[in-house]
Amino acid sequence: MSDFLASIYFDRWILHVLILLPLAGAVPVLLGDERSAKRTALMVTSLEFVLSVGLWWVFDQAEGGMQLVSSAPWIPRWGISYRLGLDGISLFMVLLTTVMMPLSVLASWRQITEKERAFYALMLTLTTGLVGVFIALDLFLFYVFFEVMLIPMYFIIGIWGGANRLYAAIKFFIYTMAGSLLMLVAIVVMAWRISETTGTLSFAYEHLLENAGSLGPAAPWLFAAFALAFAIKVPIFPLHTWLPDAHVEAPTAGSVLLAAVMLKIGTYGFLRFAVPFFPEVAFSPSVSRLMVVLAVIGIIYGALVAMVQPDIKKLVAYSSVSHLGFVMLGIWGATVVSVQGALMVMISHGISTGALFLLIGMIYERRHSRMIDAYGGIARVVPVFSLILTVVALSSIGLPGLNGFVGEFLVLLGSFGPYPWATGVATTGVIFAAAYLLWALQRMIFNRLDNPENERLTDLTRRELAVLLPLIAGIVWLGLYPGPVLRRMEPATRRYVESVQPGASAPSTATRLGASSTVERVRP
Amino acid sequence: MSTPEGVALGLLPEILLIAWSLIVLLVASWRHETVRDSRLAGWLSFAGVVLSGAGLAWLWVNQVGPLGLAQMVALDSFRYASVALVLLSAAATILLSLGYLERERLLAPEYYPLVLLATAGMMFLSGAEDLIVLFLGLEVMSVAVYVLAGYNRANASSAEAALKYFLIGAFASGFLLYGIALVYGAAGTTNLALIGAQFAGGELSLMAGLGLGLLLIGFGFKVAAVPFHMWAPDVYDGSPTPVTGFMATGVKAAAFVALVRVLLESFPSAEALWQPVIAALAIASMVVGNLVALAQRTLKRMLAYSSIAHAGYLLAAVWPGTRLGAGAVLLYLAAYVLTTLASFGFLASLGRGGERDVTYDDIAGLAVRRPWVALGLSICMLSLLGFPGTFGFIGKWYILSALIAEREILLPVVLVLTSVVSAGYYLPVIMAMYMKPAPSDEPRPELRLAPAAAGAIALSVVALLVFGFWPAGALEVAGRSTSTLTQTGAPVAGQ
Repeated sequence: MSDFLASIYFDRWILHVLILLPLAGAVPVLLGDERSAKRTALMVTSLEFVLSVGLWWVFDQAEGGMQLVSSAPWIPRWGISYRLGLDGISLFMVLLTTVMMPLSVLASWRQITEKERAFYALMLTLTTGLVGVFIALDLFLFYVFFEVMLIPMYFIIGIWGGANRLYAAIKFFIYTMAGSLLMLVAIVVMAWRISETTGTLSFAYEHLLENAGSLGPAAPWLFAAFALAFAIKVPIFPLHTWLPDAHVEAPTAGSVLLAAVMLKIGTYGFLRFAVPFFPEVAFSPSVSRLMVVLAVIGIIYGALVAMVQPDIKKLVAYSSVSHLGFVMLGIWGATVVSVQGALMVMISHGISTGALFLLIGMIYERRHSRMIDAYGGIARVVPVFSLILTVVALSSIGLPGLNGFVGEFLVLLGSFGPYPWATGVATTGVIFAAAYLLWALQRMIFNRLDNPENERLTDLTRRELAVLLPLIAGIVWLGLYPGPVLRRMEPATRRYVESVQPGASAPSTATRLGASSTVERVRP
Repeated sequence: MSTPEGVALGLLPEILLIAWSLIVLLVASWRHETVRDSRLAGWLSFAGVVLSGAGLAWLWVNQVGPLGLAQMVALDSFRYASVALVLLSAAATILLSLGYLERERLLAPEYYPLVLLATAGMMFLSGAEDLIVLFLGLEVMSVAVYVLAGYNRANASSAEAALKYFLIGAFASGFLLYGIALVYGAAGTTNLALIGAQFAGGELSLMAGLGLGLLLIGFGFKVAAVPFHMWAPDVYDGSPTPVTGFMATGVKAAAFVALVRVLLESFPSAEALWQPVIAALAIASMVVGNLVALAQRTLKRMLAYSSIAHAGYLLAAVWPGTRLGAGAVLLYLAAYVLTTLASFGFLASLGRGGERDVTYDDIAGLAVRRPWVALGLSICMLSLLGFPGTFGFIGKWYILSALIAEREILLPVVLVLTSVVSAGYYLPVIMAMYMKPAPSDEPRPELRLAPAAAGAIALSVVALLVFGFWPAGALEVAGRSTSTLTQTGAPVAGQ
């Protein structure tokens, strides 16, 4: 496979194609007729996925730095270039995006019945923005992608969303924008301050990363600006209030992409920018204590609020706050194990929560209710649906053998050394997760079938199975055999940990546990 | 000393435009009855602007050298670039007016020569190298625009706009003239460069400082900066829409360019004196403009207040007093001129007998009825918001860079935070068009844009996107255009 890919110079063009293909695909969607829009979109996103899979082989497992880097001058006067590349952290974010896109398109097949051309064109534009965010290696370019993807999502929520969609859309937009504009100021300040010492004005990621140490007293403020932008995106408690609104009001595809991919932009931003740029600030006692406390609050608070939601979609939305808290804990744990765990949670949460939103969308299409009360005992009517929902819910809870377990376990394992108390409290979050999801599961698909409306529900169609089965496969694969994934992310993770904590306890923890032996250990 | 031929050459665009406007005036006085006459005058005027633009291009390309020390009008790329902006604004205004005047039954072709003369005034204002020329340009511009503001005689609010604009404008001119007199008294000259040489390396005398203060107040009125903005909403609201566009772009552009030139060439040594004033005006304009725009119900008034906010952003770009800042002013003006003209153009196509009343509700569901208008107006709103991918973002980025290069942090932070506020009134426009259902009552008769206006607007919108994604060329021009202005800040990278 690798030889074949090398023979077609796959590594030279793949990143550019991944960005341009969806954008180009939006043109035939807009120009074609209304009914063929979804087919074209499915074709384009599937092609995008197939192409992105090649990255798996092209990617050099042993290399911790940026790979497939390519660069073209864009605005030379300001030192801005069109610079792309990826490492073991972004690789999986890109793959997650390209996997979720065709599935989201397929999930919208019946749900989106009006203005289809516009919807699918926006979905394709969104793909470009999401992929771009993860592979941009120039901060100007990153910022452009970071903001530009707001527009398609704003329209997707605002046009095809639920009853309260206008409020949700504008809240989502303004929250994100408020954070990102301060980050914009921080980016410009960084580049100019660094140009004063180095003499070159450049927004290239590596240039800023190398010289970020010279920023001196400005560093805490710059970190705060970056952290705020990403904290809103994650979202970290107490900046999470846009999330339930946006997730609940968005159409299924919107919720799936929000949960599976867009939330990860926040944690990715911490891993890629905020923390490596300013490790002294990020790991100063006060900041790290604050972040860890907020992460743990997020875990517990998200789980507790999820527990009392009568609306299943809202329940899943709040569960995201809880899961992302694990990611933040893992990032601040700053051991190879905990950061790998954080990345695994990011991937698993994308798959499991994406699947949950898809399932909710499917049952909503049939029954037009998201209230848990409205269901009950439907396992007898729709057995396949119930089976899949159970599997996905168990994976979200973190049942060993399914994907959710690997990440959360690694996070807790890796963070226990530096933060024993916080990790101890966070562990209870896993129990709460079991509580709210199993309880909801019981009320929805078990109990007695007491509502006559539920007796006529139809089970999943073949199209719906086609959407869900790849995710189930991912859930099982990552749960049983996460080795290949962990191996690919390890060099980049190690590099990250060493760069943020030079000479600290991180390498020793890693050596003691041995990242690969950890892999063995979670393998049943 | 400069020769007459040299002066004629240096003023080629202005001379061409004024001569042409007299011809149009003659034509208009013979033929001023029918729609066709009005159209004729309009197209003739457009040709005049194009002619003047050709003269400007010749001047710019050949970079005519200095024609004597005591020059009255600058011969540098900064003037050429700003004159190009003014001409752009005039051309677009004429194209927008063509259909608008016919529709509103404002069939007096003298409208067009007035636009041309106002443009000539703006050109002098933005190229003035001498306070007297500056004042003359300002007055030529203002008098013509007073008349234009009240052009819709039958409409009370238009008359109110004209009177208000005239009274406040006269007041502002008084401040400015008094300031000029005091500066002359202190420096013994009205030439900007000589004033700069006179004040170089010393404290300003009380008289000069007072003069500078009065000049700033005069400019504050002209660019509608808070707290000198009270006239702007009513005037913008009441004037015929193309005139509002012209006032918000051409007048503002010329006044800002003149302000930059005066501050950079004559008062670089007094930075400590004027920087706090400019910063205060900028912050007040950004905060008040954006917050009040949030409370508006009609689109035209919202745009009026938002133009106050944009004056605040531009003042922030003036603040550094560097070439980078001057470049930011030019580039932001270019983005702002394009966006604002297109926005007012769309607005003119939406209203019926007075777009004053076009509210957010009136454009509900517009995307279904008129998808292209909705798309274009959305792009304009995003550009005004400063969203990446549009020219407006490049402008804001440039302003941020200019401020941050001078290690200023308060202004950038206020700028971005107030930009977030502005999302609160730009986004509802998009929201109404795309996300709200059309009102169920009987559909209002639709207006169509005249082909000329539609073409101008479409071109502007395309330009917004093109420059949003490929700004390198525009930045190069803006950067090079400021290379001859007095440099006060430390040398910076990227120049």
